Amino acid sequence: MTDSALHAPAETEHAPRARFWHDLSFWGLLPSRLLMGFALILPIFIIAAVSLATRGAHGGFAWDLNLAGYRQILFNEGWTGELEFTPQYLLIIGRTFLLAGATTVICLLFAVPVAYFISRQPPGRKAALVYLVTLPFWVSMILRVYAWMIILGKDGTLPRLLETLGFPAGMSFMFNDGATLTAMVYTAMPLMVLPVFASIEKLDGTLIEASHDLYGDRWVTLRRVILPLTAPGLTAGAILVFVPSLGAVLEPTLMGGGKQMMMGSLIQLQFGGGRNWPFGAAIAMTLMALVMIFLIVTSLRAARREVAP
Amino acid sequence: MKTYLAATALALCFATGAQAAGELNIYAWAESISPALIEKFSRENDVKVNVDSFTSNEDLLTKLQAGSSGYDIATPSQHFLRVMIDEGLIENFEASKLKAFENIEEKWRNQWWDEEQAYSIPLAYGTAGFVVNTAEYKGPTDSFRYFFEPDGELKGKIAMLSYPDEVIGAAQLYLGVPFCSEDQAEMKKVLDLLMAQKPSVAAYSSDNIASRLASGEVSAHFWWDGDSLKARKAGSPVSLAMTKEGLVGWMDSLVIPKGAPNRDNAVKFIEFLSTQENATDQMNFYAHSSPMKVIQEKVVYTRDEAPELYPEVPITFSRTCSATAQDLVTRVWTQLLQ
Repeated sequence: MTDSALHAPAETEHAPRARFWHDLSFWGLLPSRLLMGFALILPIFIIAAVSLATRGAHGGFAWDLNLAGYRQILFNEGWTGELEFTPQYLLIIGRTFLLAGATTVICLLFAVPVAYFISRQPPGRKAALVYLVTLPFWVSMILRVYAWMIILGKDGTLPRLLETLGFPAGMSFMFNDGATLTAMVYTAMPLMVLPVFASIEKLDGTLIEASHDLYGDRWVTLRRVILPLTAPGLTAGAILVFVPSLGAVLEPTLMGGGKQMMMGSLIQLQFGGGRNWPFGAAIAMTLMALVMIFLIVTSLRAARREVAP
Repeated sequence: MKTYLAATALALCFATGAQAAGELNIYAWAESISPALIEKFSRENDVKVNVDSFTSNEDLLTKLQAGSSGYDIATPSQHFLRVMIDEGLIENFEASKLKAFENIEEKWRNQWWDEEQAYSIPLAYGTAGFVVNTAEYKGPTDSFRYFFEPDGELKGKIAMLSYPDEVIGAAQLYLGVPFCSEDQAEMKKVLDLLMAQKPSVAAYSSDNIASRLASGEVSAHFWWDGDSLKARKAGSPVSLAMTKEGLVGWMDSLVIPKGAPNRDNAVKFIEFLSTQENATDQMNFYAHSSPMKVIQEKVVYTRDEAPELYPEVPITFSRTCSATAQDLVTRVWTQLLQ
């Protein structure tokens, strides 16, 4: 206020230009605003609305307010015909979080050394290595999962290799949680490596030297200097891996043999065979709420870390 | 300037017009309609044909329910066709007045899923049961007992489909529970059977069945008759089990989704696929039985060549379930995979 009052004469002079820039930023950003609105925010409101609607007999829904979709997550008609507490969907939600969590932790453990290694290379090789990390993105995700089926399946690359090393023939590593996790870690890895690399890259080498000068050994340096300074990258990577992993459908179905449902396949079943769209939408909204809580907690913790010494 | 623009616009019109007189968008089961026939239709009528595929009736139904799919032809199975008529998802194109209708075998006309034969012309029919890899499994296959209650060889070597539809039907045939049962106690029995089978199941998957079975990754797979036939003809050691409890039957029909953008071409295509000659070619490609009159001398998959298509055991067609019955099916499936 005082600022503009001080420069009052100048303002009239510069007003058209300022308005031009203001207009440009408004109209220039309009496409991205529209894209966000129509492609991201509107669909979420549609799903939220469907989750509160009444299901049709054979799929679809009617616009009558109904909370049955949310109730069904916890309470269902039992085999005796009475409404009872059913933990099955909580089990599925829990399993999904466990698997996504495991994927994130494994990705972190692999990504930190890889990123550190890349960041210590000469510039030319560094660029080439970063390019190599992103290479899998050029291949369709379903092909990448099929590649793992060929590697781990019967008569696959790994069983054949083990056979020549003297292990019994005809082994298969498919259709279990290990196979699911392998494919999930593989598909998510670049999403972890890149942000971690970006933060390690910016790490000032003199700070590590300083730590050693102050008699900090390698472990102390890692814990007190490197990790806190790279925390933003680690957090970004963890979010980028954890959140999409929650919705994984391909890997559990193809690699795990679809023997245990994940939230992704549960939602798919409700829109398909189950023909219960509002329930499917309610699970989707629940998944989203849980993800939001996770993100809020992470960002609050990150904020606290910045404040604390 | 204006003339220039108008000329361009005119040229554009002619350019697209020269490409094809029209379009036809087909949504059918994966690899179900002969590409050679599509090519022929496209050439004869100067129509650009696009084919997308689905691997389950549920996917098709969901897509049509979501609206404006843009498809002109779809091929649902009988129990889903009934739902689509009831929900107003497909066009009444007065199929019984077409030449194609005359070409349907009498016994397949006016079935319960389309009594007036107004919405559909049948395309193919067949059965679903379990198929074994005969190089891996030498035991008996004349009952669903060996599939649902396996001991020995088949333990851990079984695969089911990823959808409950026909799998639950087979379990019901085995247990003597009627299709679409609304009886909780009966459906609990189905769940108990599938739960007891689960430790022996390697995968619940509808993708990649042929290679999974042929490689010996699994020894028994729930599958369709024609697919099993095709795999056997290609040299895989597979055999469809003729189970005394019967097989689950299905029939796919050509329908026109509501609001199809190229309805005339769709009708043309249905007539085209239903002539004796083309129906024969289609059957020889798809390797499933044809409900149309075909030229017998030209049929490749005869009784001798393809016993899979001519089962001696009873066939029970899947029914359209009430919402209550459907919920029980979903509940069984969710508890099975929880």
